[in-house]
Amino acid sequence: MKLVSRICLVASLVVLGVGPTGTSGTTGTPGPWNELALAIFPLKMTGIRFLGPDVPVVPDVPVGPTSAVYQRSSPRRIISIIPAVTEMLFAMGAGEQVVGVSSYDRYPAAVASRERVGALLDPNVERIFALKPDLVVVYGTQQELIARLDRAGVPTFGYQHAGLADITITIRRLGQRVGRSQEAERLAAQIERNIEEIRQRVSGRPRPRTALLFDRESGTLRGMYASAGVGFMHDMLEVAGGADAFADVKRQSLQLSAEMLLARAPEVIVEIQSSEGWNAEKIERERTVWQTLTSVPAVRTGRIHILADDRLSIPGPRVADAIRLLARVLHPAAFGAQ
Amino acid sequence: MLLEAADLVFAYPGGPQILEGVSFGVADGALVGVLGPNGSGKTTLLHLIARSLRPTSGHVRLGGADVSSLPRRLLARRLAVVPQETVLAFDYSVLEIVLMGRYPHLGVFEVEGPGDLSAAMTALESTGTAQLADRPFRTLSGGEKQRVMIASALAQLDDSAVGTTTDDAAPLLLLDEPTASLDLRYQLEVASLLRRLHDRRHVTILLTTHDLRFAASVCTRVILLSKGHVIAEGPPTEVLTPSRVGELYEIDPEMASGVISAEIRGWT
Amino acid sequence: MTLHKTASPLRRGLPIVALCFVTMVAAVLAAPFIGSTPIRAREVFSPTVAFADNVDAQIFFIARLPRALAAALVGGALAAAGVVFQGLLRNPLATPYTLGVSAGAALGAMLAITFGASWPVVGSVELASLTGALVAVFVVYLLATARQQGLSSTVLLLAGVTLNAFFSALILFVQYASDYAQIFRALRWLMGDLDVVSYRPILSALPLVAIAFAGFAFLARPLNLLALGADAAGTRGVDIERAQRIAFLGGSLATGAAVSVGGPIGFVGIIVPHLVRLVVGADHRLVLPASTFFGAAFLVVCDMIARTVIAPIELPVGVVTAVIGGPFFLWLLLGKR
Repeated sequence: MKLVSRICLVASLVVLGVGPTGTSGTTGTPGPWNELALAIFPLKMTGIRFLGPDVPVVPDVPVGPTSAVYQRSSPRRIISIIPAVTEMLFAMGAGEQVVGVSSYDRYPAAVASRERVGALLDPNVERIFALKPDLVVVYGTQQELIARLDRAGVPTFGYQHAGLADITITIRRLGQRVGRSQEAERLAAQIERNIEEIRQRVSGRPRPRTALLFDRESGTLRGMYASAGVGFMHDMLEVAGGADAFADVKRQSLQLSAEMLLARAPEVIVEIQSSEGWNAEKIERERTVWQTLTSVPAVRTGRIHILADDRLSIPGPRVADAIRLLARVLHPAAFGAQ
Repeated sequence: MLLEAADLVFAYPGGPQILEGVSFGVADGALVGVLGPNGSGKTTLLHLIARSLRPTSGHVRLGGADVSSLPRRLLARRLAVVPQETVLAFDYSVLEIVLMGRYPHLGVFEVEGPGDLSAAMTALESTGTAQLADRPFRTLSGGEKQRVMIASALAQLDDSAVGTTTDDAAPLLLLDEPTASLDLRYQLEVASLLRRLHDRRHVTILLTTHDLRFAASVCTRVILLSKGHVIAEGPPTEVLTPSRVGELYEIDPEMASGVISAEIRGWT
Repeated sequence: MTLHKTASPLRRGLPIVALCFVTMVAAVLAAPFIGSTPIRAREVFSPTVAFADNVDAQIFFIARLPRALAAALVGGALAAAGVVFQGLLRNPLATPYTLGVSAGAALGAMLAITFGASWPVVGSVELASLTGALVAVFVVYLLATARQQGLSSTVLLLAGVTLNAFFSALILFVQYASDYAQIFRALRWLMGDLDVVSYRPILSALPLVAIAFAGFAFLARPLNLLALGADAAGTRGVDIERAQRIAFLGGSLATGAAVSVGGPIGFVGIIVPHLVRLVVGADHRLVLPASTFFGAAFLVVCDMIARTVIAPIELPVGVVTAVIGGPFFLWLLLGKR
């Protein structure tokens, strides 16, 4: 009996996660933290299919035969339910064309005036159609939404998180798609220059073995998740001059046990947290939690950094800023810091 | 009188009265049958005597003491109940079931000693089930199960291990429809066992049954219960007249007469 | 034919209880030495290296030993609670979670996961899940005793199942107000995790488990008699109401404490009692201690498998118990009666 109810419970959670629930798309605590979850968590478990967590996915999955028809004219009413892509659109000057965004979009400030149409798990199809879009940016796994948009003849732009290099690839393709090729090219090139500049700045310096965590249960060392050997977070860490302590695990994420941390003995621990709810006081309090693991070099030397900044979790046009944040804590000397 | 029921009235809260003032007595060493059709209140009466239910009014006295005033374990040493049917939740052996009868004789953490084992083995032997001791209870036939449950009740009433004789109150064995779920062969088996316990070991027995033939064949006295009232009491040959049996089962006295001559007179 | 029994059948099972105890102790002692990172006993107990710098000792004492102890505590508590609930409900398919304890704990955990950051009153996940479990127990108890004296197992089951459904609905509601990260954390919590990293969760659950076990000690024989049916047990001198109350509250307390430490780890509470019964028979005086010890050993081994089998990636321990327990459960349903 319990077995059944337990299965039902899990199943209903899964169902909740998958089904387009349709009502107002304003569920959840706001914040791009969810963007991160999208990229990193093994969401297969919540029923969201990944093409494969271990394989970097090339963005702009071609979708729907109808797409080609619309590609001639540039779209004037774009909906993006991926915060990273919304940022890209605004950064390439296509912000005026964006009419709808996801319930989690917070940047740039102009998104406040755009219609909210739900998010990955709960896209509000009715509202999407009501906005009469001529391009909808969807996540590659939203098969059901893609199928419905296809049937209605609404072109889609499929997107999936992958590696760091895929960010500028996406920007260029998106630019072509929305008629902003030149601006997109300039933006992408600028990002690549900025990344390269950081790469140069830290080159030749010893690369500290770094554990890049993006989740932990507050007040304890339980429920820890780290970026592993694949994905944009791993790439960001490598560019910033760190050696990923879990680079050998070819996955986007890894649940960390205390044993793993003790065994890998990272020299630096960086925790990425949401910018909301993480004030200086809380950061200081949470840093002390680590004092249990005294044999870890990062704990001994105090190189534990909690970065409460949403840029670190959004693989969008601000990625170079995010990498600079990482590089600063990994190589303070290179940035002439304190 | 070993057992006295005085003006027992019972109704479930908000329900109709099931017993409407039942009084009778059971003498030491008697084998009494409460006879009545389905719904006459027999099983309720048994529950009241065993204190599984509390009467709405009236009293049950065992050896002169009101059962509601007796400590739980003392009552269990004087009065044992064999239910109509026993379905086990887990797979116990016959010996384990019989040893469960020793519960009221043991302290909280006390383990059955040699005295308890010998009480259990005596009970198994007197019910002819000693050879089943190590069998899983579940694998027994209906008649064997019934005899093992009687053995468990006998082990429960066996005070010899403690060394105190029960001169203040002899033990009482209650059986609820002991043959209801058994076919003829096992009915006879149980009937002869009860007679043997009565004749040789002077166990006082009160049983309920709706089976005229069974009551007439084993009981020394019968109590006729109809719709919550006692309508007659006495030796079966005196009590089981065609008119009473007709009244009891709401059938034509002529037909009852036929049933009685065919079924009862032939037996006794 | 006359048989002479000189010893209670109870004594035949005692060596097996002892064996289960030895297995538990061996598992708890061995588990901290086994893991994805090789460690040496000489290093672990080295007097020359300070603990603060001794990686092997830290892996042993911070990462693995609390984990093994937590597994033993949780496994023992869940297996014992399983035995008690099966006896109380006279249903061999009952589990520690049948009466809604885990749904209450899950709701508590879910509230802490979803609102804990912004609303610290909810407190830690451990505390919240324990509170949720106790609330569920209280509600089921009120429901089951509202209409009559004593605890009818039918009413208990009905109340438990209803509460399970109701709390599951509330959980879905909370989930709907959560974001992906929180939903994922909640799901992960449901799969069970024994990487407690400190002794604090164990120490805070220990008194509750101890109280429950003290109650269980009185229950072994009454549970045997309850197997005959409540009326039959009553006429043999068992105080049915008290036994049922101790069983329900003790079982719930042990379950709530276990769930607060490791999440609602499944199958331990059902397969361990059944396995033990296959060996020692049905007598609860054997089944209860043997299940407690074997359940502890079983979960320690399952957790060891969970953290080593595809290291460095860890499997949720609930997945391991389910993979072992699921087929076994089916075998029980289909093969054995």
